[in-house]
Amino acid sequence: MNLFRSEEHARRWKDFQPRSEEGFITLPDLVGFFGTESRRHMLDGDYLSTWYPRRGAERRAYLEQIGKTSPFWMGTPDPPAA
Amino acid sequence: MPDLVLIDRAFQRIMRALVDSGRAPHYAELARALGLTTEEGRGLLRDVMQAYPIGWLHPETDYIASFPPLNNLPTQYRITVRGEQRWFAQCGFEATSATWLFPGDTVRVDAPCLDCGDPVTVEMRDGRITWADPPGVVGHLAFGFGPSRGRPHYL
Repeated sequence: MNLFRSEEHARRWKDFQPRSEEGFITLPDLVGFFGTESRRHMLDGDYLSTWYPRRGAERRAYLEQIGKTSPFWMGTPDPPAA
Repeated sequence: MPDLVLIDRAFQRIMRALVDSGRAPHYAELARALGLTTEEGRGLLRDVMQAYPIGWLHPETDYIASFPPLNNLPTQYRITVRGEQRWFAQCGFEATSATWLFPGDTVRVDAPCLDCGDPVTVEMRDGRITWADPPGVVGHLAFGFGPSRGRPHYL
């Protein structure tokens, strides 16, 4: 999960995986993805018991909102090969 | 059964120590702060990490390596607040979450581009991007989320 100067820089990265062509995210979308409601409460006394458990659902909802619904992003198994 | 209130308190101690000093406490320090024996502190630390599995201990130790969004082990994602570069983010994505740990402050992320080594800089304040250089900075998920992808997703 890295930041690059541009998509072209990422594609030139020695460790770039062809599968990760779908792994790009704009900076504003990334900020939203890692700034969902629960993440704003990390300094609260009940973060771990109250807020952290909500994080997964928030992140899935945000990914759906920005159209990143593939298994690669959602962390779900790949469909069986045809 | 772990005491959830105590686990919450321990989490806050660790996160607050990271924010205040850039370092995560050792379990013995955590124990002292919470009025526990050192062994109770070690057990409590393990309970916290089990409840917060996006962080981790260094393998075969009880040293906190990663406690996102911050990292106790240096990474290329350097965080600067109020002119002091004391912090590291777990990864480029979590770096954008560090802003929520420093309300009211500008949080600057500096990293080398893994392709060319030239700088990538993002500044944020209270969750908003205030500066990005170059303007086309992008995030990239190399291996995908989920255990089936074969590599740690944060790389």
